[in-house]
Amino acid sequence: MRPRLKLVHKGIILVTVPLVLNLAFLAILSWLLNQSEIEVKRQVRSKEIIAQANSLSKLFYDAGVAMGGYSITKSPLFADRYDKIVREIPESLEQLKGMVGDNKHQQDILHNLAQITERGLQLLGEAKAAIDENQVDVAQYQARHMYKEIRGLADQLQQELKGLTDEEKKVQDESPESKSRWQRGVKVFIIVGVGVNVLLAFIGFFFFIAGISRGLNVLTDNADRLARGDKLNLPIAGGDEVAVVDNAFHTMAEALAEASRKERAVIENAADVICSVDADGKFVAVSPASEATFGYKPDELMGRRFIELIIPEDVNGTIKAVRAIRSQRGTMPFENRVKRKDSTSVNILWSAFWSESERSLFCVAHDITERKLAEEAIKASERRIRTVIENMMVALVIITRDGRIESVNPQAERIFGYRSDEMVGRHVVMLFQESKKFSDSDEGADHEKFMENLFTISLYKIGEFDCMKRTGEDFPVELSLTEFQGPEGTRFMANILDVSERREVERLKKEFVATVSHELRTPLTSIRGSLTLLNVGALGALPEKAKQVVAMAERNTLRLITLINDILDIEKLESGKLDMVFDTVPIRNVIERSMEAVKSFAEQNGIRLEAGGAESMVHADGDRLVQVIVNLVSNAVKFSPKGETVRIAVEESPNWIEVKVIDRGRGIPAKYKNLLFQRFQQVEASDSRKKGGTGLGLAICKGIIEQHGGSIGVDSEEGHGSTFWFRIPPVNAGSRVLETNLEQKTA
Amino acid sequence: MKVLIIDDEEDYRNVASMCLGMLGGMDVVEAASGQEGLQKAERENPDVILLDLYMPEMNGIDTFSNLRKNPCTSEIPVIFVTTKGMFPEFDQLKGQGALAVLTKPFDPVNFSAQISDILKSGSQNTN
Repeated sequence: MRPRLKLVHKGIILVTVPLVLNLAFLAILSWLLNQSEIEVKRQVRSKEIIAQANSLSKLFYDAGVAMGGYSITKSPLFADRYDKIVREIPESLEQLKGMVGDNKHQQDILHNLAQITERGLQLLGEAKAAIDENQVDVAQYQARHMYKEIRGLADQLQQELKGLTDEEKKVQDESPESKSRWQRGVKVFIIVGVGVNVLLAFIGFFFFIAGISRGLNVLTDNADRLARGDKLNLPIAGGDEVAVVDNAFHTMAEALAEASRKERAVIENAADVICSVDADGKFVAVSPASEATFGYKPDELMGRRFIELIIPEDVNGTIKAVRAIRSQRGTMPFENRVKRKDSTSVNILWSAFWSESERSLFCVAHDITERKLAEEAIKASERRIRTVIENMMVALVIITRDGRIESVNPQAERIFGYRSDEMVGRHVVMLFQESKKFSDSDEGADHEKFMENLFTISLYKIGEFDCMKRTGEDFPVELSLTEFQGPEGTRFMANILDVSERREVERLKKEFVATVSHELRTPLTSIRGSLTLLNVGALGALPEKAKQVVAMAERNTLRLITLINDILDIEKLESGKLDMVFDTVPIRNVIERSMEAVKSFAEQNGIRLEAGGAESMVHADGDRLVQVIVNLVSNAVKFSPKGETVRIAVEESPNWIEVKVIDRGRGIPAKYKNLLFQRFQQVEASDSRKKGGTGLGLAICKGIIEQHGGSIGVDSEEGHGSTFWFRIPPVNAGSRVLETNLEQKTA
Repeated sequence: MKVLIIDDEEDYRNVASMCLGMLGGMDVVEAASGQEGLQKAERENPDVILLDLYMPEMNGIDTFSNLRKNPCTSEIPVIFVTTKGMFPEFDQLKGQGALAVLTKPFDPVNFSAQISDILKSGSQNTN
């Protein structure tokens, strides 16, 4: 594995290697320089040594000469000279010593020299001394002796000096050669060294730069490849900055690819069609959703003009919208209808954006067909509702909990005589006759009480009120409140029906009924009375035939009277005004009276009557209960075969007193059971003629029992007789019978 | 038992008279109007008055109040008689000596018995 070098390291290497080489080079050069310096010094030194040696030799010679001279002349000049020289010789010797340095051979020589010198000087000293002491003979003797020794010494000296100088001369002779050798060598060295250095520098630089530039090329190439969408080069190995950038680049490319994948996924899976259209209006890219929305696969749309898809009527609008988008560079949604491949059309909401740099229109097409249909449906529904509200016969007034009128419908305007703006914002009590009674001082409390009453009577129920028109005129209404949640909170809707007409009609009907009944009953009174008087013989005995005829007339009169009574009863029942007087009555009493009333009728028909015992008390109108039981028993007798028994049974339980009238007659088919207690119902039309009866009886019974707070019904199976039953609450345990509240409506 | 019938209809008076008289054994006096009724009531002092409600000039209710005002007639029990199904004012008058309301047509045979019963028990429902 190649070492991971950062650029810095590489740079350092690039610089330090030549540097080091340079330094080495310099070191070597300086060494060489040093060497040549040493050489030169050596040369100089050797020259100096030679000079010195020669100088010493001269000195020695001079010393000899001086001595000779002295010995001959005995001149103090020579003596002085000799002294001088003698003094100089050790100095020179010392100097020479110093110059010779470490050279062993030369040191030896010098040592010898020193010895020789010493001997020589000694000799010369002796000579001088001799001379001084005028011991000429001695001197001459010594001189001859000395002269030989001195000559010998001098030769030795010369020898030694020669040895010294020869060596040096050798050096001297060598030096030009070695010098030129050195010089050549140095030159070569310099040239080679510089050459190598430069080469190395270039190579290093080359690799360095090449490395970087290769890396940069790869990066640049990668950038191009990324832009084109091609696969990238392999990652650059190494740890330097370029490799790091390359790695980062790869990571970025990955991230971009991922983002692109996600974007693609979004586009391809979006329910909306995502597309782009070029400057000529042709599709250049279409997402797969186009198949579902437009019916065309994306490749079927590529290259086609997008305007081709638009329904002709919408083309102009679309063009305008697109132009606007292109010029204003914003996105402004527009709608149109698109013709699908299957020629159906869909409503589309387009969001489009024009990119100047890409010269394309980027669009998202959202199918709003359903929304449009829903909007249409809502609008249609609203229209219907508005029509209903505006035309309905019931006035609608919407109020808040405190009674502020929020809105009214046209019918409300009509019945109250106000315009809606005259009503909205004011308190609803203005529409009621109550408001006439209010004082100005405590309006708040009055209003609150009124509202409480309003809710109590008419919330989810129908209440009756007296309302007031704008003119101050009173009129009766039926009113019902329902609660609902409006956009701003809880509201109440009052349905108000002007019932003045109805009341009027009712009043007229009552009057009519009263009048008619009066008019019918009056003559019937006389007729009945007359016939009865005749029949009982109070006005004289009648012939048999006459008796029969009178009896018949009487019967029919009674029938008429019953009919009128029934009709009147029904009317009263239906207007909730059947007069009943409630009392605590023993049920036994009621049963007995009923039996008594029906006894002869049953006997006539050959039917036996049976009644069970009963102990309970009921809160009832006894006469009316008798009426009911008589009705039921009469029916039972009518429809029972001769010889049969009709039984009256009483069941007492904590919640109910049940009275049952049981017969063995022909029974009632199932389909008639529900109809029986309605007006004018009889199981067979022929019944009314055979058995008599108006068909009102059971309806009246039902009315009476229900006014008692009870219920009535029949259990019967065809061919197996019937049991007519009714239940009323007993008088104990908190049973409360509905009083005939003359103001309350029956169901 | 003496009965005073106050009713503006002649036929009714006749038939009622005959029924009460012949079949009921009662002594019947007739008055054709409220006014006449007041006079006859004072003069004849009947045991009970059968009073029609709807009469011209002085109707039943007014006649009743006048009867009550007159100390000679104020104690005589009164039974109202009417064709009308309802007589709501009766409740108020009950306390003042009006015993019952009977409807027309009456049961000729039982009429007198009904009247006796009413007198005996003091009050009864409509028929």
